[in-house]
Amino acid sequence: MNIHIVAMVVSVVIFLFVIDLVRRRRLTFKYAISWLLVSAGAIFFAVFYRLLFGCAAFLGFELPSNFIFFALFCVFVFLSLLLTVFLCQQNNRNDVMAQKIALLEFELKELKKRNGA
Amino acid sequence: MNPADIKILAIVPAFNECGNIGRTVREIRLRGLSTETQGDSPLHVDILVIDDGSVDATAQEARQAGGMVISLPFNLGIGAAVQTGFQYAQKYQYDIAVQIDGDGQHDPAFLDKITGPIRRDEADMVVASRFLEKTGGFQSSFSRRVGIHFFVHLINGLTGVRINDPTSGFRAFNKKMIALFSEYYPHDFPEPEAIVVAQQAGGRIVEIPVMMRARESGSSSIRYFKTLYYMAKVTLAILLLMIRQRKVKA
Repeated sequence: MNIHIVAMVVSVVIFLFVIDLVRRRRLTFKYAISWLLVSAGAIFFAVFYRLLFGCAAFLGFELPSNFIFFALFCVFVFLSLLLTVFLCQQNNRNDVMAQKIALLEFELKELKKRNGA
Repeated sequence: MNPADIKILAIVPAFNECGNIGRTVREIRLRGLSTETQGDSPLHVDILVIDDGSVDATAQEARQAGGMVISLPFNLGIGAAVQTGFQYAQKYQYDIAVQIDGDGQHDPAFLDKITGPIRRDEADMVVASRFLEKTGGFQSSFSRRVGIHFFVHLINGLTGVRINDPTSGFRAFNKKMIALFSEYYPHDFPEPEAIVVAQQAGGRIVEIPVMMRARESGSSSIRYFKTLYYMAKVTLAILLLMIRQRKVKA
């Protein structure tokens, strides 16, 4: 039964780590929330592992471990997709900002030239 | 409207085009004003070079040749560079924007010709084409022509618009298109995608035959793409463009 204790400890550590990151302002709530939910879910299933086994059996997984891997895989695919969306958004904002800065810089130069002459 | 009253902006995207860009700017200045416009007075063209994060002396060379230069802080790619030009054109209310490559491929002598349909209000967007007539001049390599042919049919099939040179970066736009593209301009494969975006916005697209030259120095950025891979990516980009949710304008 040691494995349950290990699983519980690991998920609690991850949960606390995310909270600490938020506390030290390395993560904002927006990005922390998904990780908090995932680790809370992990803690929940580490405690009530019989529920997990039940789910696995209900869904037709022969081994509960297969179910765990499958669920984790799904969660990470979803999380990385979410991160890609954030990345894309940042990229777009970066481009818009670069264009704005370049335009402003040009206008400022022209203005200075006109005033200086 | 008197041709001299029409404000035209030549948008010249340039990434490390030192050695070409000065000549291109001077050519636009001199030959853009050519008088072959059917009896019209010369056009007034402002030249705006978008230096897309070049590490060489592109900006200085363009400035010395008499162009206005906007330098992007880092390389954003041709789509974002051209869009910066549209944003400038929109802000300063130009009537026509002309996109013309900084590498010397596009002959500014055709400026009158490609802005003609817009000045006569017959088109919102004009694409200068190498393939429309047997105009001679630079026709691109065989594999690229096969790829281009594929895009012609793809765009035609999806939008009903037939543009024979969809990758041509020599184009003219009216105010409506300037407003559209300053807001949204495709970044990935801007030339073929822009045709789709313009058509979706209800733009009238006209193609006009011109002669193009081979690059004077340097190398085209597309040459090194594996043609098939490039075609697959552009196809996907265009298909995604078709299902894109469009902002509904009131």
